[in-house]
Amino acid sequence: MADVYLGEFEQIVLLAILRLGDEAYAIPVRDEIARRTGRAVARGALYTALERLETKGCLRSRMSDPRPERGGRSRRYYSVSASGIAALRSARAALLALWKGVESQLEGR
Amino acid sequence: MNEPPTPPRLAEQLLAFLCPSTIADEVVGDLHEEFAGVARHKGKVAARAWYTVQTLRLVTHALRARARQHHVPDPHAQRPGDSIMRSLLTDTRQAFRLLLKQPALAALVVLTLSLGLGANAAIFKVIDALVLHPFTLPDIERLTLIAETGPEFSLDLQETVSPANFADWKKQTDVFEQLAAFDWWEVNLASREEAERVSGFRVTANFFDALGVRPALGRTFTAAEETVGNHHRVVISHDLWQRRFSGDPAILGQTILVDAVPHEIVGITPAGFSFPLGSDIWSPLALTSEQAQARSSRYLTVIGRLRPGKSVAAAHAQVTVVGERLAQQYPEHNKEHGAKVMTLAAGMRDQGLGPIVLLWQASAAFVLLIACANIANLLLARGAERHRELAVRAALGASRFRMMRELLVESLVLACAAVPAALAFAWFGIRLIRINLPPRLVRFVQGWENLDVDLRLMFFTLALAAATAIVFGLLPALRASRPALVDALKDGSRGATVGRNRQWIRRALVVGQVALALPLLVASTLSAMGAQRFLHGAQGYEPRGLLTMNAELPLAVYEKPESRRQFVENVLAKLREMPGVEGVGIVNVLPTSGGNAGRAITVEGAPPVDPANPPYVDYRTVTADLLETMRIPVLRGRGFTPADSEAGQPVVIVSQSLATKHFGEADPLGKRIKLGDSPWLTVVGVGGDVIHNWFGRRNAPTAYRPYVQAPSLGLCFVIRGNGDLASLTRPAKAAVRSVDPSLAVFLLMPMQEALAERTIGLQYVAAIMAVFGAIALVLAVVGVYSLMAFMVTQRTHEIGVRIALGATRRNVVSLTVRQSATMALWGVAIGLVLSFGVGRTLGSLLMGVISGDLRVSLGLAVILLGAAAAAAYIPARRATSIDPMVALRQ
Repeated sequence: MADVYLGEFEQIVLLAILRLGDEAYAIPVRDEIARRTGRAVARGALYTALERLETKGCLRSRMSDPRPERGGRSRRYYSVSASGIAALRSARAALLALWKGVESQLEGR
Repeated sequence: MNEPPTPPRLAEQLLAFLCPSTIADEVVGDLHEEFAGVARHKGKVAARAWYTVQTLRLVTHALRARARQHHVPDPHAQRPGDSIMRSLLTDTRQAFRLLLKQPALAALVVLTLSLGLGANAAIFKVIDALVLHPFTLPDIERLTLIAETGPEFSLDLQETVSPANFADWKKQTDVFEQLAAFDWWEVNLASREEAERVSGFRVTANFFDALGVRPALGRTFTAAEETVGNHHRVVISHDLWQRRFSGDPAILGQTILVDAVPHEIVGITPAGFSFPLGSDIWSPLALTSEQAQARSSRYLTVIGRLRPGKSVAAAHAQVTVVGERLAQQYPEHNKEHGAKVMTLAAGMRDQGLGPIVLLWQASAAFVLLIACANIANLLLARGAERHRELAVRAALGASRFRMMRELLVESLVLACAAVPAALAFAWFGIRLIRINLPPRLVRFVQGWENLDVDLRLMFFTLALAAATAIVFGLLPALRASRPALVDALKDGSRGATVGRNRQWIRRALVVGQVALALPLLVASTLSAMGAQRFLHGAQGYEPRGLLTMNAELPLAVYEKPESRRQFVENVLAKLREMPGVEGVGIVNVLPTSGGNAGRAITVEGAPPVDPANPPYVDYRTVTADLLETMRIPVLRGRGFTPADSEAGQPVVIVSQSLATKHFGEADPLGKRIKLGDSPWLTVVGVGGDVIHNWFGRRNAPTAYRPYVQAPSLGLCFVIRGNGDLASLTRPAKAAVRSVDPSLAVFLLMPMQEALAERTIGLQYVAAIMAVFGAIALVLAVVGVYSLMAFMVTQRTHEIGVRIALGATRRNVVSLTVRQSATMALWGVAIGLVLSFGVGRTLGSLLMGVISGDLRVSLGLAVILLGAAAAAAYIPARRATSIDPMVALRQ
């Protein structure tokens, strides 16, 4: 399961969705990323990442009922799938393993 | 509560349309939801702008999402990570391969397109060189022309400024670094060799500084030389220096005779400099104090060099204010006069040229449109052949956008392939335009030397080709990328008729071609008829067999009328003695010469007229036998005789039109008129009308006075020869020189040649329009032919069935020809309406020389119909030879 490779942006997106819990659709995801990382994400890039993550099996999505404040359109809510969690875990483990022992070097510079 | 603001509908619909349905709710809905927040914070207008920008930023995402939807990989599909450039390259390679597979089609498209593009490129160059960028002066963008405006100057920009107003402009403006004026000056130049007539200008001392031109040798003028008595100095052109003084530098400081007055040569301009156009000699503009204070005689042309950083608009604003101030200060002279500023290029432009080149450009655009229609039709035909392939790809999931892009890239490749050939056509066209202008006139066309294929032209052609590719490629691409799937897969191979829709579009294209071709044909025929009438129509005299030459007596030498009479008598006597001469006469102004002389007319006993605005008539002073020499008929009364002498009764002959206008039904013979400040003149004859100028001065009222009673300084000799006119030129010139060697003889040429030169513009109009007309006709006929040929091929099966069921040859031919005739009829009907407009436009552009003629339009319509029928006949013949058995087996 852990052979799904996640890019940095994909990790960010998955983590933001995890943080949001049940309220994760594209708008709050984008806001959450901006708030936590200070990074403004292009709308198109986020949708592309969401679609790709879903194709990879890291995300699941469901459509809400039509909502008047959206001009009668539905929201697409995302949740991280089991394989998404696994992929995040292995990405984190890999990064931590690599971080070990280099922190002191970064401090001094 | 207020309605919540809603996003811009168009943008929202666009986005919803572009997004595949699976993501539309998410993307469009999210944006809708966020819109409300933005509207609360920034207001409705800003929010709508924000929404539109966001929509545009999402376009690529939507299209990519669409591309990803197709799970069956398209062989040409964009693979992940493919850049747009990369996939465009793939498309381009693919396009080349496809085109190489159909070389005949590709060649036909490229040829058609290069004709259309080449015609446009050539005309663009003419506009660019002659109208947009005619000058090669340094800092041209800082040079301006300042003109007075007034009721008498509706179009004129040059020779509109009075010396006193010029002086005030100079004092009261500060936007100009230099403000210079000049006045036209044409002189006899006499020196070591034979006398020559030279064009030049009297200029203010800062004239050359204003233009930013330094003399190649010597100096220009000083302010002190702008005073009368101190002004007998000249700067001469490099060309004149080479031509007349063989480039001898020692000429500086020497004296030459200009209109019989000695002038010192102080400077020589750099090679190639000739401003205003055609000038060879410049002298200081020295005005007497009386002349300098004149405010209502307006004859100066004023140019200004802007200070750095000042714009034409700023200068215009300031000069306008000064003009208004002067109007208040000097109401008696300036009440109706103002001032304006424009760029030098705009100000010195030939005012008649602009509309004519615009007409050409419009015609060239027509040609290109016809070519586009043709190519679109060819591509549609090919799209029809390819629609099975495209249908299969679409069924397998190729996106429509992807296929459209591919087809458009094909069009672009075709268009770019046409560019070299188009430039070759343009080069050829420009050569033709260049070599057909008589060298004598070349120096009077500003920017003529810039007529050539250059980098700008290449860029223009490339850009035009790209735009054209979209025009002719879009329709076929839209059509072909939306094949009716089921139909195509089911029976595409049977060659059955294609959807009605497609047929309809292709027929409409052919109708459009015919509709555009007809007005072009009409315009070219009308122009040709106009030029023909101008050259060979009735002129009111007989130009054939006439040799003309001009001379201008300098006032300094011929101040006394007696000296002029003596000169004329002596020269005429010598000319009459020449062998081969039938008659000789002199007139002050020749018909069609461009110049004119007029006098206010007063008719004895007629009610008084507004003294500020008296009627003017054309004024001619002629030797006794001029009318007979030119074969201007005397309709009533008598011609002049030697008895009409200096001391005799002052007499006048009037033209038929003058008699009608000023005497009406009454008999003018014996009545008396005054011309300007002349004594009372008795009318002794009525002469036929002469066309002085086809542009507006046909049958103008004209009065003739005997030369002996009113000797002018300007002389036009008219010699009627009974043999080869060329053999008369040398002795004629010698005759003048033998009487006064310092006198320059100019414009020595047969009358018919003068007429032809005068109509050169019209001949150009006619020739260029003829080329356009011919291209349009060929393209339209090819269009009809290719569509009919295609239809016959498509309907082989159907025709086979008809023949098998007993249709005769006649039936089959008439079936095909009738179809093309219907299209041609529609095209001709629309074309006739367009032709009417074209005829009127031409008429107003060329001031009545050309006028719309319904017979011409109808005649050409019939020709076009015939050509269309003929074009359809060949495919129709082929249809009759279809073997039903073969057709049915297909």
